[in-house]
Amino acid sequence: MMSKTEEEEVNRLENQVDNGGGGAWEYLSLVRKLKLRRPNKVVKHGLSILNDPTKRSALGPDEWTLYEQVATAAMDCQCTDVAKDCIKILQKKFPGSKRVGRLEAILLEAKGSWAEADKAYASLLEENPLDQVILKRRVAMAKAQGNVSLAIERLNQYLEIFMADPDAWRELAEIYISLQMYKQAAFCYEELILAQPMIPLYHLAYADVLYTLGGLENILTAKRYYASTIDLTGGKNVRALMGICLCTSAVAQLSKGRNKEDKDGSELHSLASTALEKNYKKISPDNLPLLTSTLKSLKLQS
Amino acid sequence: MGGEFRYEIGQNAYIKLILHSLKHSSSAVNGVLLGRVSGDANSVVEISDSVPLFHSQIGLLPPLEIALLMIEEYYSRQGLSIVGYFHANERFDDFELGGVAKNIGDHIYKYFPQAALLLLDNKKLGALSKGKDRSPVMQLYTRDASRTWKFIGSDGSSQLALKEPSANVVLQDYISTGKAENITDFDDHLDDISKDWLNSGLFN
Repeated sequence: MMSKTEEEEVNRLENQVDNGGGGAWEYLSLVRKLKLRRPNKVVKHGLSILNDPTKRSALGPDEWTLYEQVATAAMDCQCTDVAKDCIKILQKKFPGSKRVGRLEAILLEAKGSWAEADKAYASLLEENPLDQVILKRRVAMAKAQGNVSLAIERLNQYLEIFMADPDAWRELAEIYISLQMYKQAAFCYEELILAQPMIPLYHLAYADVLYTLGGLENILTAKRYYASTIDLTGGKNVRALMGICLCTSAVAQLSKGRNKEDKDGSELHSLASTALEKNYKKISPDNLPLLTSTLKSLKLQS
Repeated sequence: MGGEFRYEIGQNAYIKLILHSLKHSSSAVNGVLLGRVSGDANSVVEISDSVPLFHSQIGLLPPLEIALLMIEEYYSRQGLSIVGYFHANERFDDFELGGVAKNIGDHIYKYFPQAALLLLDNKKLGALSKGKDRSPVMQLYTRDASRTWKFIGSDGSSQLALKEPSANVVLQDYISTGKAENITDFDDHLDDISKDWLNSGLFN
C-alpha cells in the first residue's frame, strides 16, 4: 500500500530510468523500500548496474543488497539463470550464510522443484521455526501448486503466531474472496480494522464483502463502513461513494413492502451522488453524462 | 442452446483482453464481451468489443455491479449488448472454470442466453510465438439445457474464431512492444477516474 505521492515518485523515477535518464539506484531503493512488485524492471535496471564494474563498485556494501534484490526479482519473472548467477556471487561473498541459503531454497521453488524446495524450507525452519519469510513461502508454494486448502491451513497457522501481520490477513481475505467464502473474508477484515482502524482501505474492503454477502443487515452495515471510508478519505473515494448509492438502492429493494422508510438513506444517496458528479465533472468530464444516467438507473431500481 | 452458435471475436476485443491478462500476470483478471447476434438465422454472435474489468478481488459485487451498469448504459447507445464474459485464472496451469466466473456467467446468461464464457488458455498463449496458430488463445464455454457451463472443444473446426485471421500476429507485435502497460481496466478507473476504461486511444 503506498500513498499517491509515493506512487507518483516511483513512476517518475521508473520513466526516467527507462528513458536513459539515470537514477537507477534511487529507483531500485524506492522499490525495495515500498516492497513493490516490478520484477522485470528491477532485473533490467539492476543488471545494468551490476554488470558495469564502475557502477558496481560505486555502490560499496550496498552491492550485496542489490544482488539479493535482483535475485529475488529474477525468480519472480522466471529468469532463473540470472537468479542463479546472483546467488552464486552472494555464496562466494557470504559462505554458509542463512540469508543466502534462503535464496537458494526459494530458487528451487521458482524452478518448480516442489519436493526439493519443501525439503529445503523444512530444514531452514528446523533451525529457525519463526522465519516469517520461509513460512510465507510455504503458503505461496501451496497456492502455486493449486492446493488452496493447504495454503489456507498454513496461512492460518502463520497468523496464530504472527497475528499482527496485516499483509497475511489481507492475503487470507483475498484467498477467501476468490473462493467466495465471504463470511471468512469478513472476519479477516474485522481483524484488520480492529488492529488499524484508521486505514480506509480495510473499511472499504469490509463494506464490499458485506454487500456481497447480502441481506438487509449486512447491507446496512456495509453502508456504515462506506460512510466511514468517505470520512477517512475526505470524500474523495469514488468506490465508497458508489457503494453508498448501491446500498441505498439495495436497501430500498429489500425493504419494499415492509413500510420501513430509509429517510437517511435517500439523503445520503443524494449527497453521495452529488459528490460523485462533482468529482467526475472535475476529473473525468467526458464520463459525466454516463455517470449521471447510471446513478439515475440505480435510483430507479430502488 | 449455445451449441449451434458460432462466436466470432474481433481483433480489438480479443487483443484488449489478452494484453490485460499479461499486464496483471500474477493475478486473476476478467472482462466483459460486447457485441450482437448476426448472420443467417441469427446464428453468429459477433464479439466486437470488450472491456477489461478487474485485476483484484474479483469475487466482490459492488465494483462489478457498477461496471455492468455503466457498460450497459454506454454500449446500448451503440446497439451493442453484453454477450459474454472473459476470465483468466491466477495460475498458469489452472484450466478450471471457477465459481466466480460461473456466477458472473450465469448473470449474463439471464439477459443473453447465447452468452459465451471465455477462459484464457495460458499454454496456447505461451506457445504463440512458436507457431502460426490462427485460433484464439481462449477456451469457449456455453450454457446448455442442463444449466451447466460446457466446454466447447477447441479444435480446428471450432465454434470460436478470430474475425481477422492475422489477429494473433498483431497481438504478438503488441506484446513485444510492451503495449500491455497501456491497458486500463475498470479497477484502474475506480481508483483514478481520469483513467479511461474504454481504452479509446489504445490502438492509435
